[in-house]
This record gives sequence, structure tokens and C-alpha cells, in this order.
Amino acid sequence: MSKLRQLWPLVVLLSLMVSACSPAVTPTTAPQPTALPAAAQPTAVPAQPTAAPVEPTAPPKAADRKVATFIWTQEFDTLNHFYSNKWFAQITDQIWNAWAWEFDDKNEPFPVLVKELPSVTNGGISTDGKVITMKLRDGITWSDGKPITAADFVFTYEMVTSPKNAVASTYPYDQIESVKAPDPQTVVVTFKEPFAPWQATLWHSVLPQHILQPVFDKDGTIDNAEWNHKPTVGAGPYVFKEWESGSFARFVARDDYWGGRPKIDEIFIKFVPDDASQTAAMKAGEGDLGTFPPLTDVPSLKDAGVNVVIARSGFNEGMFFNLGDKGHPALRDLRVRQAIALAFDRPALNQKLLLGLTQPPIGFWDALPAFNDPAVKVYPFDPEQAKQLLDEAGWKDSNGDGVRDKDGKELVLRYLTTNREIRQDAQAVAQQQLAEVGIKVELQALDSDILFGTFADNGPVSTGNYDLAQWSDAPQFPDPDREYWLCSEIPSAEKPAGTNSTFLCDKDLDALFKLQTTQVNVSERQDTFKKITKEFYDKIYWLGLWQDPDYWLVGKRLKDVTLSGVTPLYSIDQWDLQP
Amino acid sequence: MIQYIFRRLLQGLPLLFIISLVLFVLMDNIGDPLATMGGRSVTRAADRQRLSRQLGLDQPILVRYVYWLIGNDWAKVDLDGDGVAETPGTRRGVLRGDFGTSLVVRGKPAIDVIAERIPNTLLLMVAAEVVIIAGALFMGIYSALHQYSFIDHAVTTISFIFYSMPIFFIALVSIYIFAVNFKAWGLPSLPANGMFDPTVGKTPAQVFLHMILPVVSIALISFAGYSRYIRSTMLEVQSQDYIRTAKSKGLGQRQILFGHALKNASLPIVTVVGLDLPLLLAGAVVTERIFAWPGMGRLFLDHVERVDVAVVMGILMITAVAVVVFQIITDIVYAWLDPRIRLK
Repeated sequence: MSKLRQLWPLVVLLSLMVSACSPAVTPTTAPQPTALPAAAQPTAVPAQPTAAPVEPTAPPKAADRKVATFIWTQEFDTLNHFYSNKWFAQITDQIWNAWAWEFDDKNEPFPVLVKELPSVTNGGISTDGKVITMKLRDGITWSDGKPITAADFVFTYEMVTSPKNAVASTYPYDQIESVKAPDPQTVVVTFKEPFAPWQATLWHSVLPQHILQPVFDKDGTIDNAEWNHKPTVGAGPYVFKEWESGSFARFVARDDYWGGRPKIDEIFIKFVPDDASQTAAMKAGEGDLGTFPPLTDVPSLKDAGVNVVIARSGFNEGMFFNLGDKGHPALRDLRVRQAIALAFDRPALNQKLLLGLTQPPIGFWDALPAFNDPAVKVYPFDPEQAKQLLDEAGWKDSNGDGVRDKDGKELVLRYLTTNREIRQDAQAVAQQQLAEVGIKVELQALDSDILFGTFADNGPVSTGNYDLAQWSDAPQFPDPDREYWLCSEIPSAEKPAGTNSTFLCDKDLDALFKLQTTQVNVSERQDTFKKITKEFYDKIYWLGLWQDPDYWLVGKRLKDVTLSGVTPLYSIDQWDLQP
Repeated sequence: MIQYIFRRLLQGLPLLFIISLVLFVLMDNIGDPLATMGGRSVTRAADRQRLSRQLGLDQPILVRYVYWLIGNDWAKVDLDGDGVAETPGTRRGVLRGDFGTSLVVRGKPAIDVIAERIPNTLLLMVAAEVVIIAGALFMGIYSALHQYSFIDHAVTTISFIFYSMPIFFIALVSIYIFAVNFKAWGLPSLPANGMFDPTVGKTPAQVFLHMILPVVSIALISFAGYSRYIRSTMLEVQSQDYIRTAKSKGLGQRQILFGHALKNASLPIVTVVGLDLPLLLAGAVVTERIFAWPGMGRLFLDHVERVDVAVVMGILMITAVAVVVFQIITDIVYAWLDPRIRLK
């Protein structure tokens, strides 16, 4: 008995091991087709389903199954796209669900759930730009065999805009007047005003009405729907199988996928929050796809045979100037902003801090060349000209303390950013280089929750309690629109929800920004944006520090991988795995 | 005894209430959960306003604490933002077993989010604790019996080298040696992270294999503290009169060691272990992160970053309750080890 008692730690351990292993996950065969084969439709891009009917493919034997391991450094918080702001949640959409249209490796749109992209020429967009009519692809089905119809799109719109559902964002659905389904294959979206950014913002996945309507009817909300965490019904090439919190998620190939059965049998997503641990796993061959490695690890990863792929996602790291009353008055003088641009050696910063993997962006719309004026380029590093401009602007070091001043006010700028290490490094470089031309910079690195606190919570950016601020942001990529440059978005006690935290109010720019949202003709809109980008360049309303693309690690076994900056895994059904 | 336990539990209630209030106020000051919501861009201001209302974050802190404690199913909330509270609340409060809904894993009860991780954490931490205590007992006793011997010096030196290293360093070095380099050299290697190989499945053997590096990493840094403590208490006990009496009575070394010395030396050791055991529930934040082990430490870190009050408060309160309970258990073990101690 006493000997048995001594074995209790072993018994406890074994019990825990069994409970942690339960339910036991063992490789399974892919699910059997639940519906008749669907006839896939011809499409505009080669990556899309072919015209031939798709025959269900027999699943391979267990021993021959191809299992690709993806390493996500952040776990998705939900799999319902509309409830998450997380990039890792959104990029997972293309595995098990589908957008109405997705974007290829050149960030060009192609139809997925629709027959063709709506345009003015095919009658999909009304001449006033308010009505968008979509024709759904024939024969598309949810993974349980039920057809995907226009009613699912109407339901999606209703759920996103219902006050009973606490979705992450109602944009752009709150710009819509109505979504109607005149027949099961047609969706008609009517905006309140002409809305040019529809292509980049609408129908980022669709909700299955036949699954979620009963939940909404019963609970009055879909906030707590089991489907949000266990979406066993989807529209993508894989079917959700299992998600164990903090550990992994599994998706198995859908045999009756209307685009053809994927070549890889299972996608296994492992959540590895530590960057260095991700690097080690990729080097050890335990991961086939990884994301955002520490840049210092890139050379050794390449040496280990891991391919580093860069996809432009529209994000750029940049310096925002506070042009409002609470900002330093010097910043409202163009010559001072020019001096800052000239005194900060951004090409060297990209070479040394970012190992030459990026360039300084020419502007906020750097990743959208068609929208940039050809004259827009990166300001050179020229500290002597910077000093000259500051002299011309009247900022001189009159008291000999090494800092320029004017009318008794020192040129001391408060420079805020988040506590991300690379940002703090860039801050330190800027501080040193600006000091050499007589601009003193006081650095602050704050937690992002504090830096971006609301106006009501006295957040420094929202209330304008800063002079320079640095973070990464993008337009509604691949659409160039961004609402926060408008005068009407300046936050105030009367409008605490305003998003223009640079307090920029340029009437000419304002008119151009408002004009572009109404322009459904692409070339006319591009012309408008060329004027906007030229204004931004000439007046330095924003200073780009480095391009902030998506970094992907592609392991040696993974073949035929192409990645987009918008819907990165758009071609996952075409990827293959080789031993 | 039962009366004693009941009284101690009752004494713990006001303590837990004060802890919960202090933690709730602290949580309120660590950031805005809606600022970015884990995204790459700042949440649109209109969405922040709407979500703040829908999730009840626009209420004063005292109201939120009361809702957290006793629920809001007796009150109405304004979901549509028309200024009229028309929808009945659905929360029942911690006192009725409802820890609220996670802000991160949207729509999932916080207690479910926590419960999913507890077995993983206990598996890792209990295994590590068993290895630490077993190893420390063995080496502590050996060192005490062979004071100033070569092995005593060697073990002391090695254990202090590991004790002085940060856990992330030990963890990463062990991954690179046993997972990356061993594989590159064609030697049998250990997995770098995770709980199992997806091509094999989550079998006990796989989980055991994936536990080796994290367990050893935790054990290496904790081993020195325990073994040195056991060594010193054993040395102290060995010089006591009753040990000398036992020796003079002609008792064997084994009987003296386990029947008299170790049992008397155990009291302070039980105190240390008793204080450590409830913290096993909290997991190992750094180790779980590096080895991608889905435990409570990682859960805490992930959710505190997103200011997920429901989950973080749940973890902290469970840990606080565990501390109170294990202190009572420690007292009971005292009485069992030393009959002179009476619990009143």
C-alpha cells in the first residue's frame, strides 16, 4: 500500500497527460462529399476554377496524406471575419471560406463567388456610382452541400448592421442604403452616396444564412454562435475540422470543392507566439509557412533553405505631423517639415535598420503606383539644405544651447510612437540626426492601447498632445481611400470620434478627397489621386520611413506558392507539398 | 478539523473580495481594449463608440465591477445607441459562476476559455514540479550527507549556473541544440515547439516527447533553489540531539534518514512547496510562449495584452482562490507531519 502511495505523482501525471490529449487527434481521412459535383464557372484569371465539372476526388490513404504546417505567431480570436480586426483571422478566410472576389499576387481582383467583377461597362455599376449589381457564380455551394445564394449576402448585410451584433466594424456596410436579392443569383447593393472603395471593402466573406439565421432567431444575436469558433460550414477549399485554443487549428481538404479538390490534404495551423521559436521551427523543418520573422533572422533562414517572400500590403511606416493648435507651431511652416525630411537619412535607415529589405516609401500611397504622381519621389538626405531652410524660416540658435529657437520658443518636438523595438530604434536615429541640424526631439514610446486611446480617454494622438508621431498604416488597400485626412474628421469635444489626428485641414485637398470617393471611373480617380499625392509630396503632410510589407517564410517542401498582399492565401488550393 | 477548514475558508472570503476589487481597478488602467483590437490599424472611431456601448465598456468602473460581481440580468442595457436602455442584461456575475464573456475570443464564456488551458498547464507544471522536487530531494540529501565532497561542489556550481540564467535563454539554446542542430547533424532530435506532430496525431507519446524540453528548461532554473534549501535543512536537522540519539541507539542510516531526519526537515520544505503549488495553475509565461505550449501563462499574456478583463480577472481569481486553499492544505499537512501541531 505504501509503495502504491509513492506512485501518486506518476498517476497524476498520466491522468493529466490523458486529459490533455483528449480528444485524441489522429490523422483522419478527408470527409466524404456531401453533395453532387458542382459545375465550376469560367473565370477571368487562370488561378480560378476551370470550366470543366469538378469531380469529387477520392481522398488519399492515411499514410500518403499531405499535411502542411503553417505557423501563425498570433492566434486568431474568432473565425467569423466580421468579429475580428486581427490580420491572422482575416488571412485564414481563404482556407475555409471565400470572399466575393479576392486579390492575386499583383493585388489585382478576380471573381470568386461572382461571375465577373461589377463594372460600368458590364452594367454592374450604375452610372451614378450608387448601385452595384453582382451576379453569383452558378453551382457554388457551402461545404455542407447547400447552395450559396443571394440570400446569404442579404443576411450578411443584415447581421453586420444589426445593433444586436457587436461586430468589429460595420464599415462599409453602414454606407449602404439597401442590399436586395431580386433572384437567388443576383445581389443588388445600393449605397447612400457614390462609394468608390467598394471593391476593396465589400463582402470579405459571406455568412451562411441556413446556419446562423436560426441562432439569431433564438438568441437575438450571433455574438455567441458556435459557428464563430467552429465554422464547420464554409465556402472555401478546406473544411474546418478542429481548433484547440492556444495550440492549433486543422482544416481538411474539401473533396467536392467547386474549384477542384486542393492538392494538400490538410492545413495544420500551429500557434507559436515567439518569433525566435518560429525561426527555429522553420529551420528545423517543422513549419512549411511562417510570417513576419525578425529581420535579423532573414539571412540565416535563407541559408537554411527557407524562402522569404515579401508581399506589398499597402502598409508604410511613417511620421505624422501634428498640424493643429496643440502641435509645435514650427510644424505648420512647410520649410520646417522640409528640413525634417532632408535631415533624416531614411535610405540609410532602411539599409541598416531594415537590412535593405525595404525602401523609404515615396508617400502614403507608395504601394499603389498607378495612383501616384510621377514627380513624387523620396526626399534626399541633405542636412545642409535642411539647416538653410530652418534659417530661412527664422529658426536659429540665438542662445547658443544647440537648439534652434524663434521668438523665445525652442524648437523642441515631442516624438511619440509605440513600444515596438524597431520604432524606438528609428526614433533614436531621428533624434540624433535632427539634433545635428538644431532640432531637439523628446522621445516617448507608449503601449499602443495608450498611444491610440480615445479622445474621451485623453489619448495623446486623438487629442493632439504630440508633435511627431510614428506608426504604420495603409489606405483601404488596394483601394487608395482613407477618410482620416478630411477636415471634417478632426476630433473635438463636439466630435470626439473624429479620426484626423494630424489636424490637417487643407481645403483644396479636402475637395479632392471628397471627389475621389464618388469617382467610379478608374482613370479619373487615378488622376485625382495624382493631384493628392503631389500635394502630399510638396507640402510634406506625411513622411514615409519604410515600406511595411507582409513577410512570409515558405519552407522547402511547399511548392507553387503565390501570395497576395490583400488575400494572401488566395491560391491555396493550387499549392502542393513535396517531400 | 472540519470546523477549522470552514473557518479558514470564511476568513478567505473578504480577502478574495478585496483582491478582486484591487485587480479590477488595476485592469481598468492598463489600456483601451478597443484601441486596435489586435489589428494592424487603429479601430475606426465610430466602431469604438458602438462597441464600447454594446460591450458595456462605456459604464463607470463601479457599475462594471458590480456587473462583473453580481451580473446585470436585473438591469437593462442600451444596444442600439438611442439613449434608451431597452435590452435586458444577460450576465449573472462571478458570484453566480458567470465570469463574463471574453473580449478576445468573442462570444466565448471566459471560464470556458480558462478551463481549456488548465489541463495543459497542469500537465507541464506538475511534471516540472515532480522533476524538480525529486531531483532536488535526491541531490539535497546527497549533498547534505556528503558535505563539501566533489559532487556536492559540482552540483552546487552547475545548479547555480542554470539558476542565474534567464529561462528564455535556456529554452532557446535547448531548442537550437536538440531540435535544430541535432536534426541538421542527422542525430535523433526533439521537437522545437507545440504539443504534437500533426502527421502523427496527439498521442500520449507525442505529448511526452514535446514536453521534454519545456519541462527540463523549467526544472533547470528551479532546481538550485529547492536543492540548496533541502540541503541546508537536512544539515540543520542532522546536528539535532534526536539524530544523535537515534544513531546511539544503533538505528540504521536509512531508518535515521527517512524516519527521523527527512520527516523533521520536511516542515519548511512543505511550506515552500505549498506556496508554489497554487502558482502551478498560473503556468509558466515565458516557457509556454517559447515552446508554444497552450497553457495558462500564455493565455494570461495574450489576454492581458488585449485588456480582456473577463479572462484575466478569471485567471487571477482562480489563482487567488488556489493560494487560499493550498495554504489551508499546507497547514493540514503540517499537522500530519508533526503531531505536536494542533489546528484550532
